[in-house]
Amino acid sequence: MPDALTVVVQQTINGVVLGSLYVLVALGLTLIYGVLVQINFAHADIVTVGAFAAYFFTHRFGGHYVLSIGVALAVGAVLGWLINSLVFVPLRRRGSELLPLIATIGVSILMENASLAAFGPIPYAFESPYSGQVIRLGRIFISLQHLLVIAVAGVTIGLLYAFIRYTVHGKALRAVAQDVETAGLMGINPNRLIMLTFVIGSALAGLSGALLGPVLVLTPFAGASVIVKAFAIVIIGGFGNMEGTILAGLLVGLIEAFTTQLMNPGLIDIVVFALLLATLALRPTGLIAERREENV
Amino acid sequence: MNHLFRADALSKRFGGVQAVQAISFEIAERAIFAVIGPNGAGKSTLLNLLNGIIAADAGSTWFGGVDLTGLAAFRRARLGLGRTFQKIRLFRHLTVLDNVLAGFHVHHRIPAWQYVVHGGAYREDRARFGAEARELLAFVGLADRASVVAGSLPYGEQRMLELARALATRPRLLMADEPAAGLNAAEVERLVERLSRLRERGLTLIVVEHNMDLVMNLADRVLVMDHGERLFEGTPADVQRNPTVIAAYLGERAS
Amino acid sequence: MSEPGAGRRWAFRLLVLVVIALGPVVMRDTYWRSVLVVCALNVMLALGLDFVLGYAGQLNLGQAAFYGIGAYTSTLLVTRLGLSFWPSLVAGTVLAGVAGVALALFAVRLRGHYLAIASLGFAVITYQVLLQWISLTQGPLGIYAIPPPPSLALPGLPVIDFANPARMFYLVATFALLAYVVLDALVRSPIGETLAAIREDEVSAAALGINTPAWKAFAFGVGSAIAGMAGAFYASFIGTLVPDAFFMTESFTVLAMVIVGGLGTLIGPVAGAILLTVLPEALRGVGDLRLIVYGVSLTLVVLFVPGGLVGTVRTLRERVVERRAPGAATA
Repeated sequence: MPDALTVVVQQTINGVVLGSLYVLVALGLTLIYGVLVQINFAHADIVTVGAFAAYFFTHRFGGHYVLSIGVALAVGAVLGWLINSLVFVPLRRRGSELLPLIATIGVSILMENASLAAFGPIPYAFESPYSGQVIRLGRIFISLQHLLVIAVAGVTIGLLYAFIRYTVHGKALRAVAQDVETAGLMGINPNRLIMLTFVIGSALAGLSGALLGPVLVLTPFAGASVIVKAFAIVIIGGFGNMEGTILAGLLVGLIEAFTTQLMNPGLIDIVVFALLLATLALRPTGLIAERREENV
Repeated sequence: MNHLFRADALSKRFGGVQAVQAISFEIAERAIFAVIGPNGAGKSTLLNLLNGIIAADAGSTWFGGVDLTGLAAFRRARLGLGRTFQKIRLFRHLTVLDNVLAGFHVHHRIPAWQYVVHGGAYREDRARFGAEARELLAFVGLADRASVVAGSLPYGEQRMLELARALATRPRLLMADEPAAGLNAAEVERLVERLSRLRERGLTLIVVEHNMDLVMNLADRVLVMDHGERLFEGTPADVQRNPTVIAAYLGERAS
Repeated sequence: MSEPGAGRRWAFRLLVLVVIALGPVVMRDTYWRSVLVVCALNVMLALGLDFVLGYAGQLNLGQAAFYGIGAYTSTLLVTRLGLSFWPSLVAGTVLAGVAGVALALFAVRLRGHYLAIASLGFAVITYQVLLQWISLTQGPLGIYAIPPPPSLALPGLPVIDFANPARMFYLVATFALLAYVVLDALVRSPIGETLAAIREDEVSAAALGINTPAWKAFAFGVGSAIAGMAGAFYASFIGTLVPDAFFMTESFTVLAMVIVGGLGTLIGPVAGAILLTVLPEALRGVGDLRLIVYGVSLTLVVLFVPGGLVGTVRTLRERVVERRAPGAATA
């Protein structure tokens, strides 16, 4: 019977791993919102398709698991490019706030049902070669898969951070997030930048799919289980706020790890969403709206 | 207290900037009170504070003897405080007539059940307000545009529609934020004429404006703001002569 | 003096009554008659959502939750407390309406996207509660043997037995028509103008004296109450209640019906609901691709035909009028 400390440490590790996965998914969403002020409801479905891409690469093609992460990333990038070109760009001209969101709901339904038609409803057993290899530190168990997840997440987030802070494109991205018109006046092409952001964000989604595949129940509807948490994380962390999203993602991961251990796992969604609603109630993100609506 | 409207030491801070600092003034009934000042002086913020769209950090406002502190924007509107906006906020997808009809919201007297089953009181209400809406449209010169979609009107007519819509609430005091912005000389003239007629009918006005012709011709008193503070207050003639005011404006033109 | 267009409106309603009456006559087999009942239920859901989204402009993704609240409330009252059907239906409707008002008041200051996510969050939480609260709802096992509404014995007519899908269809369709008539009356009244003002610009609506939080709550309450009523009918029709029927994807389905039919037109969502209920059934032979209908139609409509079916009809009608008498068509 493991003592309390072991449980805490073990679940903390599990929580960090899980949290890292959620952070990768949520970062894509928040990046896109930061520049476009739009939510892509199909984001989680990109995660699903990325997972399937990685699955087929490893289990049908015999490719190496680590490479499949790159494959999933590429698939995500392509999907992002498609969705932006076909949905957001045409709708931006209409100036409606809700229509793009509704359109992405349509894309999401489409992707889910197309995947259903292509892959069927029966879960796929996505096995990573590293899941089985476990390192033991005293009574703590870490699988190589966990370490891989943390490593990949860490490197990805680090690269993303460096990109945004130090490169020309990254700075332009922040400029567009602040004020589209002024950025345009300064010679930055917002459309190119929005596309770049979209592609990066969706690539992140695809990448997380490859990492999540071995963890989730892989069906065409796998995205649905992740998207609600991703939204919660983005809202709790603050739309467009990278640091906040990372913190919130880790928080949700930890909450889930401990909830699974201590309570009925089905309650996770309730806890996370109660937290989300509490955040919305206490810190009405209408604060962001207030700042933008100042020139009334 | 024989003043219709009074503001007392209103202050508002946004982030690091003191947008409005300790502004006080009083407005008599049927007066036309103008607020002028260089860009960024805090004029629109002031109106937003008076209107209730944003809450002041400090200070209070009084309207017809009622303390407005803490009252939401819609409650102030119900007390008789009307407002038009600097950036046109029409209901762009509705027709011109429907925009004005929306303004009668607080005046309907229809028993609840008649919203579902349209009885006599309902029909009478529709007829009465339909007629009043058309009167307002005629007043602002939009009588023949009633069924046009608001978003497709030329700029000057959109401004007039905003005025008509605000008048539909039957305000006692109307706050107009740059009502002449973007209007050509002929339209400004018509605007001045209409505002005068409104004053004759008993309306009190607060006007934020850049157009000096309008201000000098129309206003009884003028408040000059700069950097959120009260620079000067007086009659239009006083304002024109005041060296501090001239410096503030010249300073702006130079920068 | 009657309202403009009243004659045409009553003619349209008569036509609808005739279509409803003929429905089960045309569709003779049980399967398709059941589809008709589902059509009527979806019409109610779509109408409720259109009132909130198309008229008040609030993206409510929680319709599935209100559907479920209505269904479970009335069912539990009937099966656990032995209450008869009609009071249970009222209770389900009211409770769903109250939930809608609560959500709206909670989400008062939230802008479009946040409201959408908050309402989605509400749908997720409701689903999980229905799933996990086993002592109340029996969770995934579901509640069985739910009786249909009690038979109606009207003087001079044969007893109407609602276990018969055709009779059930007439019942639900009547209520759907009632919902339509009530919403139509509201929308043409000053309330419609108030909601339109909120939808178009909340700030200037407030400057006109409109209490936007209260009116949003009103719209939500009405929309969710109708969904709750549909839920009560659903439970008594289907006989078995499981939480999975109220998964959040149901909200998306209803959204698709509203958009495809034509947002903010009331008739549009009716048409959209019928189309998107019947089409996948008609395409059953085509295999797994039939569910793509929802996704494809929603996306295509938003991108290319934002007015939906009704919008297209109106545009075509205007063009025909224009061609016959240029300048005759008004906005």
